[in-house]
Amino acid sequence: MFDSLKKKLQNIRTQFASNIEEAAGAEPAPPVTEGFEEAQAAEPEPPVFEEEAPEKEREKPTLFKKVKVLVREREILLREKDVEEPLFELEMVLLENDVALPVTDEIIGRMRRDLVGQHKKIGSSVDDLVASTLRSALCGVLGDGLDLRDFIEGRERPVKVLFTGVNGTGKTTTVAKVGNYLQKNGFSVVIGAGDTYRAGAIEQIRTHADRLGIKVIQHQAGADPSAVLFDAVQYAKAHDIDVVLADTAGRFHNRANLMNQLEKIRRVMKPDLVVYVDEAVAGNDAVIRADEFNKAVGTDAVVLTKADMDPKGGAAISVAHTVGKPILFLGTGQGYDDIIPFEPRVVVNELLGDEA
Amino acid sequence: MLDNLGTSLKDAVKKLAGKTVIDRAAVDELVRDLQRALLSADVNVKLVMQLSQAIKQRALEEEPPKGMGVREHVLRIVYQELVRLMGTPGEVTLGPQTILMAGLQGSGKTTTTAKLARYFQRKGLRVGVICADTFRPGAYDQLKTLCDRISVPCFGDPNEPDALRIVREGLPKFRKLYEVIIIDTQGRHALEENLIEEIVNINEISHAEHRWLVIDAALGQQASEQARRFHEAIGIDGVLVTKMDGTARGGGALSAVSETQSGIVFIGSGETIEDLERFDPDGFISRLLGMGDLKALVERAEEAVSAEDIDVNAMLKGRFTLRDMYKQLEALNKMGPLKQIMSMLPLGGMQIPDDAYDITSTKMQRYKVIMDSMTPPELDDPSMIGSSRIQRIARGAGVTPDDVRDLIKYYKIMQRALKGMRGMGGGKFNMQRMMKKFGGPSR
Repeated sequence: MFDSLKKKLQNIRTQFASNIEEAAGAEPAPPVTEGFEEAQAAEPEPPVFEEEAPEKEREKPTLFKKVKVLVREREILLREKDVEEPLFELEMVLLENDVALPVTDEIIGRMRRDLVGQHKKIGSSVDDLVASTLRSALCGVLGDGLDLRDFIEGRERPVKVLFTGVNGTGKTTTVAKVGNYLQKNGFSVVIGAGDTYRAGAIEQIRTHADRLGIKVIQHQAGADPSAVLFDAVQYAKAHDIDVVLADTAGRFHNRANLMNQLEKIRRVMKPDLVVYVDEAVAGNDAVIRADEFNKAVGTDAVVLTKADMDPKGGAAISVAHTVGKPILFLGTGQGYDDIIPFEPRVVVNELLGDEA
Repeated sequence: MLDNLGTSLKDAVKKLAGKTVIDRAAVDELVRDLQRALLSADVNVKLVMQLSQAIKQRALEEEPPKGMGVREHVLRIVYQELVRLMGTPGEVTLGPQTILMAGLQGSGKTTTTAKLARYFQRKGLRVGVICADTFRPGAYDQLKTLCDRISVPCFGDPNEPDALRIVREGLPKFRKLYEVIIIDTQGRHALEENLIEEIVNINEISHAEHRWLVIDAALGQQASEQARRFHEAIGIDGVLVTKMDGTARGGGALSAVSETQSGIVFIGSGETIEDLERFDPDGFISRLLGMGDLKALVERAEEAVSAEDIDVNAMLKGRFTLRDMYKQLEALNKMGPLKQIMSMLPLGGMQIPDDAYDITSTKMQRYKVIMDSMTPPELDDPSMIGSSRIQRIARGAGVTPDDVRDLIKYYKIMQRALKGMRGMGGGKFNMQRMMKKFGGPSR
């Protein structure tokens, strides 16, 4: 997961650090230097060195002044110029990893704001400074996680979960996986087959549920999904079931009528949790549609599917940032167990490679 | 649709207007805006960088031909480079052939398979479909249901776990009976090696003439990588872009095209089985640059409606009466949603208010009934409809007066929109002609 983004981010960090060190014109503390060499040996990037060489020369005239400041103040001031180049590199890395443009702008802006004007005390590690800035930027964007088990524990039964999203993101499969996950955690589950539009959708959820031994409430194709899901909730109440998982038909956010239908479903079944499902491979559009769904029916949590397709993790960052809601699960494969609860801190730590 | 990308590009180009000399700063700015436009459309980052380098270099080095303004010169270069990026359109032969569908999970292979079957059926070919998706529950039911609606035979067995066996059994049978055979396969991604192996095998035993990759318009930077792996495995020779009716801009498809050295064959743009358009790169770019694409509209209109059904030219001239709207509503069923048609007209920078599109089929039906209750003079000159006439029409159509007013309001929105179009018309057509003359196709 996220390997490529992780590698790139670490690259960038090193570059940030070296640029800032250059700006400082001071020898970094010995342990930090070691860290650099290791990182750079692992990720040799010749073009970066070529680009850095002329910059060093350009910096020379001001170096003297800086040294004076250094001697007097024992600290240096980071200027915009010092971080510009690595920031551009970071921007490209984020874009290449499917972080949507507006979100990238936001992260870059945050980094710039936090770094520029920072006073760096001589001796304090540059690496730490960059790492903590990047960490806080990413953490700020990813937000907190949400544990579905805790959420259900704290609610009156049955807990109703509604799944929404555009076509083909994997809602039905996700419903089956979440059903399996909850069953394994000791909850009883019923599924409402709310996708009455797409051909074969009811058969699909039916087969999944049969395999997992979960009861499905279904009407025939073309029925009113609100009615199906209402029945599912009634069934759960009558049989003391813990959780109702409501599947819905995929719909595009620019179709007013379909979004109204979803609104009606929400009114009728009154879900405790609206889960928006999108795929990890989606590009910039992920932001637009996440936003539209959030506006139309609200979103309480996000599930990102097909995360196994993509070693990058940009869409996670984009969607989480846009909706401002926690990511519940990542779908990581075709099996029923291929779903993992999402913990932002773990992801950020993994991306940045260490504890700080 | 693609108008979003168009808008940002247009903004970028607008900044050049009025400049007499090409200065570096202006070109830099244009290229930066272009980069942002393409990046937010999910075009591959490396492609964007290459493209912008090429444009920058050519814009600064090449002398504009005599008599050509700076804006046109740069626009022409942008256009040519975009055409290059887009590749040639994938070929569709109307003869006996086998088509293998490949793509990621949830990209819309099954729906597109049915749409393709419909396309070839409409062209008068006998079509058979084989369902080789043995993994996803309900896949066979889905394809069967869709095919039954258009009376296309569908071969498959939901209880058979071996996709190869289905293809091996179904193909000889269908080859005897049908001219075009489309094989729908299970969704897979490039990192699932056993699934890639499966599709390699299917490809081998089917000897498919075409191997088409289905790409979700929303697919991001991952498109290149996936397309490359699929291409390595089975040699993709065409790309189908789906879900273009959402807000996604389909830049991922360009990455796929560039990786596979193929072209876009069709564009899927709606949920009904008719929502499939042939791809035309000139049109795609014209649309990208906000110049409309009459060609695709005409191609589609010829198939669906006879000339008298809808008179685009009269509409463009601003003679738009309730009668035209009536015809238009009738034609809509055959041609697809209004927004699709509008997006193909050369509307230039004009924005049509969204409520003009927001008309449902039930509403359309009601509008038709209301108009049936009007007199011919009323249809020709709606401005004469006052409140007493509204009362009469409402009684005649069995609706409330508010419904009638609603119709007239809708008519006025449409009329205003079309009037706006007329003003834009001339200049944009010239621009398009200019593009054709200097631009890509003859390059």
